[in-house]
Amino acid sequence: MSEVILRIKNLTKSFKDRKVVDSLNLEVTEGEVFGFLGPNGAGKSTTIRLILSLIKPDSGDVEIFGKWVTKHRNGSLQNVGALIEEAAFYKNLTARRNLQILANLGGGTNRRIDEVLEIVRLIDRADDKVKAYSHGMKQRLGIAQALLHNPKLMILDEPTSGLDPHGIKEVRELIKSMSDEGITVFLSSHLLHEVEQSCSTMAIINEGRLVVSGKVKDLLKQTDLFTTEIQAQPVDEAVSVIRQLDFVKIVAVREESIKVSVSKDDLPNLTTVLVEKGIKVSAIVPHSSLEDFFLFLTKGDDS
Amino acid sequence: MLWRLIKNELIKIGGKRRSFIGFIVIGILMPLILWGFKVGGSQVHRDMTEQLQENFIVVGSVFNGFLATYLVMNFLWIHIPFLITLVAGDVVAGEGSAGTFRIYLTRPVSRGKILLSKLLATYIYTAALIIFFAIMSLGLGSLWLGTGDLIVIHKGILILPSDIAWMRFALSFIFSIGVMLVVASLCFMFSTMVNNGIGPIIGAMAVIFVGLAVSNLPLDFFVKIRPYFFTTYIDIWKEAFYDPIPWREIGMSILILVIYTAGFLGVSFVVFSRKDILT
Repeated sequence: MSEVILRIKNLTKSFKDRKVVDSLNLEVTEGEVFGFLGPNGAGKSTTIRLILSLIKPDSGDVEIFGKWVTKHRNGSLQNVGALIEEAAFYKNLTARRNLQILANLGGGTNRRIDEVLEIVRLIDRADDKVKAYSHGMKQRLGIAQALLHNPKLMILDEPTSGLDPHGIKEVRELIKSMSDEGITVFLSSHLLHEVEQSCSTMAIINEGRLVVSGKVKDLLKQTDLFTTEIQAQPVDEAVSVIRQLDFVKIVAVREESIKVSVSKDDLPNLTTVLVEKGIKVSAIVPHSSLEDFFLFLTKGDDS
Repeated sequence: MLWRLIKNELIKIGGKRRSFIGFIVIGILMPLILWGFKVGGSQVHRDMTEQLQENFIVVGSVFNGFLATYLVMNFLWIHIPFLITLVAGDVVAGEGSAGTFRIYLTRPVSRGKILLSKLLATYIYTAALIIFFAIMSLGLGSLWLGTGDLIVIHKGILILPSDIAWMRFALSFIFSIGVMLVVASLCFMFSTMVNNGIGPIIGAMAVIFVGLAVSNLPLDFFVKIRPYFFTTYIDIWKEAFYDPIPWREIGMSILILVIYTAGFLGVSFVVFSRKDILT
């Protein structure tokens, strides 16, 4: 059984009278890519800052690699790399100089600096000042600094925020390569389909409280909220065929398409039945169910 | 480890344009002032010796690099703190406003060590600026205007021979560094409290101006509280030119300045260690 390397225990933090994190409990086991979801203001970033000891909890604690952060801050953060929101650097210094500054805090040689710059494909721009970098390059440099001391746990807070599709793809690939190398990743993101794609386990918080946590696959199975758009002709006939099926539910019917709720496992069966009945299926577009699930859990959406 | 952290801070200070403002101002202003003295030096000499000639026989020129430096120190001294605060005010708050703490403080190094490294780097910068001021005033002045006896007005006319004047200037600049470290500590304390680089500068300068008002206005109440204000001792450098040097008073002044510095730094460390990094 995998070891729990990050444990959040009864963590609570208030700003003035508002509880931003409220008795939060979470466990992240070694080797998993853990998705941390919640709407804006749910307390995700505050939780991450509490984990990294950037802010102090009112009560509760965080255990990383068996050490409690409030008591053994330095020891617990020894093997942790982090990128919180938009990467911020000393913009008048070069990327290499920025990494040297961080390497001076422990862990990281000049050789390692070159390695991480290579990983994030910034080695050719290493001696440019950071102020000349695009947002995407800064985010990649942010990941480079987090990798500098060979962390075993990587905490990423909205790493794709503000990136263009190409940048998002690059960051996603970096996360995958980290996971492949055995680094445990704690990923906070508002891009729910990204969590669905990248993460094996997830937790959803709202108003500082844990709403649900578990394996992404299991959670989707439980909810059965997988919605799919089917473009088929003739639509009327397709609708009447689908209505006879008990494993699928029609959500909406449009001029040239039908939106249905069907589990991932049953989707191939639905396609087969439609084709067998002579319906011309031109496209099947799955829509991430996680959005619906997320809205359902965090806003009480009963649709 | 601490040296590596200090090196980090010095690199960061060196990477900011504002860090060079003090050096540029002094680097431009001092040669200009000295050039002004060189050109108009004979007039200054006439004005000064007019009164002296009634009682003394003045041989040669009293106007030299020493006197020029002494005069410059007198009228520039109140402006130097501002140049110090430009960096001292930004060293912690600047990281807050830029958001760089959210990377820098996630490393396994204690906040105490990081703050100590920032403080020591600020002190190194402060000392370097005063030393640069000394080089540009005393060094350049003595090369350009020559050296000689130094005439100082303190309870009458005091004439310090050239060899003693060198030592007195050295002592004076050491005192100056000490006083400016107190100013830097005050600004540093404000810097730990906010997340913008301007607030600490305004805060520190406001405290200094109010303090100087208390230290200089001849009101009874102010006279009573004056000894307890650190700004009263901001011109302690002048005492290096008294004869004899009032070591007892200087010792008391230093003690009060050390107490203030300890207070400023104590507050800085408590504030910074408890500070929530939200930017």
